[in-house]
Amino acid sequence: MEKTPSRRTSNTIYAGLGLVLFLALWQWAGKSGIGGPVLPAVSDVAVTLFAPETFRLLARSASSTLASAAKGLLFGSSLAVLLAIVMRLLSPLRPGLDRLALMVNATPPIALGPVLIVVFSRSQTPTVLAAIQVFFLMYVAASTGLAGAPPALRDVMTGFGANSWKRLLHLELPSALPHLASGLKAAVSASFMGAILGEWFGAPQGLGLIILNAMQNFQIRLMWAAVAMTATLSLTAFLAAATLEQAVSRRFGK
Amino acid sequence: MRDGRVIGEDRRGSTGKSMSGAGLEIRDLSKRYTPRRGVVVEAIRHLDLGVLGGEFLAIVGPSGCGKTTLLHLVAGLEQPSSGSVRIGGAAPEELVRRHRLGIAFQDSALLPWLSVENNLALPFKLAGLRVNRDRVRQLIDLVGLKGFEPTRPSQLSGGMRQRAAIARSLCLEPDVLLLDEPFGALDVVTRRRLNIELARIWRDRAITTLLVTHSVEEALFLSDRTVVMEKPGAIAAVVGVPFPRPRTPELLRSDEFHRLTDQVTLCLHS
Repeated sequence: MEKTPSRRTSNTIYAGLGLVLFLALWQWAGKSGIGGPVLPAVSDVAVTLFAPETFRLLARSASSTLASAAKGLLFGSSLAVLLAIVMRLLSPLRPGLDRLALMVNATPPIALGPVLIVVFSRSQTPTVLAAIQVFFLMYVAASTGLAGAPPALRDVMTGFGANSWKRLLHLELPSALPHLASGLKAAVSASFMGAILGEWFGAPQGLGLIILNAMQNFQIRLMWAAVAMTATLSLTAFLAAATLEQAVSRRFGK
Repeated sequence: MRDGRVIGEDRRGSTGKSMSGAGLEIRDLSKRYTPRRGVVVEAIRHLDLGVLGGEFLAIVGPSGCGKTTLLHLVAGLEQPSSGSVRIGGAAPEELVRRHRLGIAFQDSALLPWLSVENNLALPFKLAGLRVNRDRVRQLIDLVGLKGFEPTRPSQLSGGMRQRAAIARSLCLEPDVLLLDEPFGALDVVTRRRLNIELARIWRDRAITTLLVTHSVEEALFLSDRTVVMEKPGAIAAVVGVPFPRPRTPELLRSDEFHRLTDQVTLCLHS
């Protein structure tokens, strides 16, 4: 879907207006005390967030969370794409792999946490949990994408005598790219979810740990600041993935 | 050739055009589908057909008469229920494996993310050959797409896309060329212009060609013989096309051409 420049500009304006309205509401709710002491005003959260000491702490934690999410994204999607390709080339394996992927997805990540801590370590759990969250999304995107090339293009490939490897390289992979980019957009948010959840299970550092500790110690402003930091990170990564998706669908879409 | 009214004198072979391509032998070919249990659809029924090396054969027939199925069987895209297809003595799959088949279908089926030039380079890559850029440019020139080498298919008109698809089918100098309604989605004017261009392209080379089309005019203008098919999947008539080559637009306006077109059209509707 091509958007005209003016349409895109007005979308940005609406998004900005929405954000301002949301922050204003939060500020008002905090200052009026309607939510009690657990809902501080956005300005108070900002003061806590940008105080040099907390900011250093949050930045350190953020980089750790970001690293877990990024590694999980990388491992999870590589494995997913690789398996989807193997499935494409060796179709007899397909039912087994599909069932495995479904099983992975059907298991709630919260139930997997303790298992992962036992199998891996506390510091690796965020990465592994992020990878698992990413895997299913990317596996579905990759296998749908690889199977989704138009039949007319398949016929031409067959007629020109392409073997399955050449067909994969010249037709199926390029035509799967838009699907993979959309999958990545969803996977980015999922990787943050997995990483934060993994950190709750007792990782040595990370934003998830800060959020949990701040909650237990009733450091309400720190908790909100960490949440704001997480939201900003996740949103930035999401916007980057959305930009990538647009570029890919311009290049490889119809 | 200026004088399009000299009819009945077959100049094939005397005009210095190179005869190339393998002959085609279709024997007792049948194709049945079972879409549901207990339902059998016969698409091709005991069909025999021979095509000479270098011959241009057109197949016309009503929708659903099995002409596209026939082409798919020759391309090895589908397997016959019984009977055989032999191209230069080999099975279609063998020909496909050796990359000796050229195909162009109604949907130009160009890869949307590649430029015209790279779409024409594709057959070389699929065959594991070094891309012959000179030949690619020659073919682009031949089909009148010079200047559109870097253009992506979505930027081209339907007619230009079909030209590119036909150029692509010629890249590897195939033994047999299979065209399934290559101009079927185009308007009448563009279609006629492309027919004239195709006749011009064929003037210098005679690749064994099978053209499936709805248009009797197109079939008679381009082919050496035209096969009329009827439902279900059988040959109703074979028409030897007497017009000499090279065929020019004048032929399309001649009485002889109109007479034959009418005869074949009648045969198609009977």
